[in-house]
Amino acid sequence: MKAGRLLLAGWALLAAGCGPPAAPDRTIVYNCTASTADIAALQREQAGFLARTGIRVKLNPFSGEEKLYAMMAAGQAPDVFYTNAAVRDRLAAEGRLLDLRPWAEADPLYARLRPEVRAAAESIDRGVYSLSNWTHTCGVYYNRAAFAAAGIAPPTSAWTWADLVAAARRLTVAGPAGGRPERYGVFIPAHFIEALEQMNHAPLPRAALLLSLPPESQEVYAAYLALLREGVMPDVRRVQALGMQAGQLLQSGRVAMLVEAVPHPGLIETLTIDWGVAPLPRFGAKAPLYFRSASGGLSVSASTPRPADAWRTLAWLVGEAALYQPNPVLADVDFARAWEAKYPRLRGTGFAEVWRLSEQHAGGDPRYFVRFASWSMMPVMTRLQPWLDRLWAGEATVAEVVAAVPEINAGVRADLARQLRSPGLRPAWKAALERALAEAPP
Amino acid sequence: MRTPRPLSPAGPLARIGLTYVALVALGVLFSLPVVWMLSSSLHELAAVFAQPYRWRPVPLHWENYARAVTVLPVSRFLLNTVVITVPVMLATAGSSALVAYGFARFRFPGRDALFALCLATMMLPGQVTMIPLYLGFARLGWVDTYLPLIVPSLFGSPFYIFLLRQFFLTIPRDSEEAALLEGASRLRIWWSVVLPQARPALATVLVFTFLGTWNDFFGPLLYLNSPEKATLTLGLNLMKAQVLGSGVIEWNVLMAASLLVLLPNVLLFALAQRHIGRGLALGVGR
Repeated sequence: MKAGRLLLAGWALLAAGCGPPAAPDRTIVYNCTASTADIAALQREQAGFLARTGIRVKLNPFSGEEKLYAMMAAGQAPDVFYTNAAVRDRLAAEGRLLDLRPWAEADPLYARLRPEVRAAAESIDRGVYSLSNWTHTCGVYYNRAAFAAAGIAPPTSAWTWADLVAAARRLTVAGPAGGRPERYGVFIPAHFIEALEQMNHAPLPRAALLLSLPPESQEVYAAYLALLREGVMPDVRRVQALGMQAGQLLQSGRVAMLVEAVPHPGLIETLTIDWGVAPLPRFGAKAPLYFRSASGGLSVSASTPRPADAWRTLAWLVGEAALYQPNPVLADVDFARAWEAKYPRLRGTGFAEVWRLSEQHAGGDPRYFVRFASWSMMPVMTRLQPWLDRLWAGEATVAEVVAAVPEINAGVRADLARQLRSPGLRPAWKAALERALAEAPP
Repeated sequence: MRTPRPLSPAGPLARIGLTYVALVALGVLFSLPVVWMLSSSLHELAAVFAQPYRWRPVPLHWENYARAVTVLPVSRFLLNTVVITVPVMLATAGSSALVAYGFARFRFPGRDALFALCLATMMLPGQVTMIPLYLGFARLGWVDTYLPLIVPSLFGSPFYIFLLRQFFLTIPRDSEEAALLEGASRLRIWWSVVLPQARPALATVLVFTFLGTWNDFFGPLLYLNSPEKATLTLGLNLMKAQVLGSGVIEWNVLMAASLLVLLPNVLLFALAQRHIGRGLALGVGR
């Protein structure tokens, strides 16, 4: 009897041992800021993804740089996570990001990406460390009723900077007793000056280590200052101090024209005025050089135990997940039409034309994120920004800012030299950075 | 000999009046952000940044509050926050009081040095200890649980240890000595004799621990990963992401939610205000 029980127990153990092996854990942790609606949508969608691929996506919606660093230090980095242009290369140089090139080049998704997205994905060592999941151009949103009341024809793709200034003058409504205007003609947030520099054909380098301010950039600075001095554009600092979103200025009637990102879901959903959007004005007879910007993106941790699954998840998020579709990073998607289907109120606003012009006259991404290598972006901006603040406040001249460039670059070189001495820097990156620094103009 | 001039009653009155005017002005200044929150929470979205700003919303958009509690699983976040806050309050007050009693009543070699070391830990910025602590908790397998947020409170908080020690020093030893003669243990004396006399200081510790834990954003952000474990502060952040997801920040709804989160703080502070004042005055003032 006892022997029989023992036999039975032995048989049961053997049966358990010989049973089908437990399925390997194929969970991929995806860390990025998400809303509860996003979380619910991804959870719904990931069931289908799991059925197709066997990969379970676990969303961690609480993100932050400190959290990411702590997780990395503990060897618990999420498999897929969002990185911005300022930190991506630093993490890659420390060996914390996976070079996605082998997977990317073998995946049809990579060929579907717009050229600027592929360009933004590459780092100084030719590695691919992130894929953007969003791109945008910019345009001039305008109040149609204000244009009609002032007897001004709506802007077209042929309009120039001179036209914009003339319209801004006519659209500015003086305040009582010579006070601040009741309505300003235009507002151009300072971070869009980079796009204007490109429209003025400033020779902007890509991934530069040092700052340069060519004459075309200086002309744009002067033109921007003239708008402020003439009182047809609100004081940038005042708008920032009020904590106002630029769209509120247009919605509340405080400005008649606003330069902003296209598409801008926030504006689309909140503007209740009759509005249209036009491309950026040309500078004289110069051909237009519009842009699309693709800076931040999704990266894969070098410590992921399942790199192929992590790539598959990243590719799914960028190219398939309904939550992020239609995705403008995909070249084979008629984004304008798809976006108009998503937001019917865009029809007739000029959005589709602005988007298509950005495809026809793509001048590349002029923004500081791309213009400077992520190595030097912060060293440049921390030194340049105080000068720009003084410039817009009327406390410095364009010539003084230009004169400060050598001093700014000397500081940047010192910062880069310090970075080169960092013990965590991988040799390949060190060599690439040293080469780039040696080739940089004096 | 000069006769002293009689004091004019107008002098002190004027001084008191000026003090009150200054205090009221400061009070108004400090309460402006909260008033703006309240006003914005009852506005429609377009009016939140309207210029000039209308402080009195007409009509009142009470539906913002309804939306604030329906757009997110607030009851879940509330429960999670309570699950963390209550044990942290009790553990912080209990452990700090125990350590403080030791420092206040026992004589042992190195006591003052230990007390100084305990106070010195207050000088360490959180950023310095963040990664080592995270590494420790990760090694214990406690990440994405509430343990890293609760367990440290079992080991006392240097500031509260200091506060309570100072308070215990003000309590006469007679009753403790009488209890000792009756055969009570030190732990019994701490529990039955000392703590009942330290109610104002304990109330202060409980209220400040509540405020710190209830409003903590960084701790939960660092240690929690699963959305279903989010606290109210993380929930507010999700709400910001919620509206950011569509590119729109519904400031009026966000302000309504923030006010709701703030409400327990205000209520508790109002209820315990008398104790807090006494606890701080007797503790720190010594």
